[in-house]
Amino acid sequence: MLTQFLSLLENKEDGMSLFEISRLMNAQPSAVQAMLELLVQKGRLVEVGPDGKVCASCGLESNCRLLAVKGKRYILCK
Amino acid sequence: MTMTTTLFRLDYGGKLEREITRLIESFSELQFDTSRYPQRWLALKLLEADADILEQVRAMPNGEQVISLAAQSAEKLRSMLGDDVDMLIADRRYGFINGVVRQSLHRASIDRITLTDRIDDIVTHKWLGLPIFFAMMYVMFRLVIDVSAPFLDWTDAVITGPIAGWFALLLDLIAAPAWTHSLVVEAVIGGVGGVLVFVPGLLILYFFLALLEDSGYMSRAAFVMDRFMRVIGLHGKSFIPMILGFGCAVPAIYATRTIASRRDRVLTALLVPLMSCSARLPVYVVFGLAFFGARAGTVIWGMYALGIVVAMLAGMVFTRTILKPDASSAFVLELPPYRTPALKSVLIHMWENTREFVRKAGTVILFASLVMWILLNLPWGVENKRDSYFGKVSGAISPVFAPLGFGDWQTSGALVTGFMAKEIVVSTLSQIYINTDESAEVAEPTTFGEDLAGIGVGFINATVNSGKILLSIIPGVNLVDEDAEAQDTVLSRALREHFTPLSAASLLVFVLLYVPCVATLGAIKHEFGTSWAVTSAVYQTGVAWLVAFLVYQGGLLLGLG
Repeated sequence: MLTQFLSLLENKEDGMSLFEISRLMNAQPSAVQAMLELLVQKGRLVEVGPDGKVCASCGLESNCRLLAVKGKRYILCK
Repeated sequence: MTMTTTLFRLDYGGKLEREITRLIESFSELQFDTSRYPQRWLALKLLEADADILEQVRAMPNGEQVISLAAQSAEKLRSMLGDDVDMLIADRRYGFINGVVRQSLHRASIDRITLTDRIDDIVTHKWLGLPIFFAMMYVMFRLVIDVSAPFLDWTDAVITGPIAGWFALLLDLIAAPAWTHSLVVEAVIGGVGGVLVFVPGLLILYFFLALLEDSGYMSRAAFVMDRFMRVIGLHGKSFIPMILGFGCAVPAIYATRTIASRRDRVLTALLVPLMSCSARLPVYVVFGLAFFGARAGTVIWGMYALGIVVAMLAGMVFTRTILKPDASSAFVLELPPYRTPALKSVLIHMWENTREFVRKAGTVILFASLVMWILLNLPWGVENKRDSYFGKVSGAISPVFAPLGFGDWQTSGALVTGFMAKEIVVSTLSQIYINTDESAEVAEPTTFGEDLAGIGVGFINATVNSGKILLSIIPGVNLVDEDAEAQDTVLSRALREHFTPLSAASLLVFVLLYVPCVATLGAIKHEFGTSWAVTSAVYQTGVAWLVAFLVYQGGLLLGLG
């Protein structure tokens, strides 16, 4: 499942929502969410958002409109 | 009745199972004490390199040897299977769990689709998403311009009327020299006041933006914009700085740090200044209201759309020339559910953004206005501003802008000062035009009480007129008094004497696209070096001149001039 998840991200050009991934993988959104968290823990994905490493190092949080929309984003690490 | 159970054991596959068995065997060989943990579980934890277990095993007799064997097995598996053992183990577990869920849980597909999912299917649709985004922006700008127009008139009347009058009276009372009157009326009232007039418009704009953000739509807009990024050869991650660019390009340039590839970072930084930042909005509003009346909202929306289109074209050119694309990867968006925005949160968001604009007016724009006033009055005592140092320098460069429809020294000068910050284009035009054309308005004799009453009545009238305009959005309802619609700011009247609608449109296009402000160029230089900052300034100014030329000369050919 995780391998399938990662290969989905590697081969997809644009962004995907959690719901879209759960449909593509035929898995429950809660299971996909758990996989996301595990992949972040393992350093395969990076969370971009208020609690993510990228934002913490950016120092522009007070000006960031992305954070204002309160959505979490995950990007694949190479 | 008796029930028998069998111990469940998940099969991790041939290669992994062999290494697990080998490790379990090594426990006996090394006489390693496994009484504290089940042997298979311990072998798996060692292969996963679980930090807690490693620490405890290391403290036990022969622990180091066991850890060493586990590390050898993990490395062997990694080279054979091409991934870390902990990932392979987790993968097997998730695969098993998903299989169990699929076999045991049968849920009607309709149950899984929430209202948020239904809305998302439409607003993030591959083909409908972008048109819906642009339609939302169009409605927002129409509302902002139409609803804020009475408040803009009111603010303009208050600043150029009672406030200017109070300053003049104060200077008279302290017997201030004549030049201080000029300084206050031209630099402070004309320059800073000319920009502060747009505060009501910004308050309403930020109110609508906060509504969109708090409702959850802006996350979807970002998702939709990602597809647009693909078209121009950018990585999906570039949408973060691009969206920031609609607010201010400086934090947007620094936000490119979140992009791993230098090529993507540079390309994003070159395109970010083409997004219409909030500093350009006063220029759009003043020219939009002065020349396009009821269509001002459409024109302003058009400026935002044009910025995106030009960024798209520029991106395509860059990716085919100096910034060839490299391999990229996808990202995941977790979209928050839609929710009703909280009024308190919306008001805080609206106030914080507007406060930043007012702060800038009181610092950067005030400083620039004072410098402008000095330059417009040097050599000291010059009668005609055209003969000032500023006027002469502006006049010398004005022929460059003549083919674009605004070859006069005033506009050329304003564009040069706009290099400091784009709002300064408006404050400079205010300084140049207002005092000479309509200074008489400032000196109207009224009592303090009359001024306060006039401000209060004006505010009530503006609120009533805005309410009528808002209600008139409902089809079949028209409460708008045609006479009330025709009100103008002092600057609007002055600008109409120097521009045509076509030359105004050309100027708006030029302001949208020309050289980024000095703070943005500083950020590009800081992040990517001088050569990219120069590239940004040169290519944007060139593109701005070309597009404005096409707009103006094309308009003349079509008989629009």
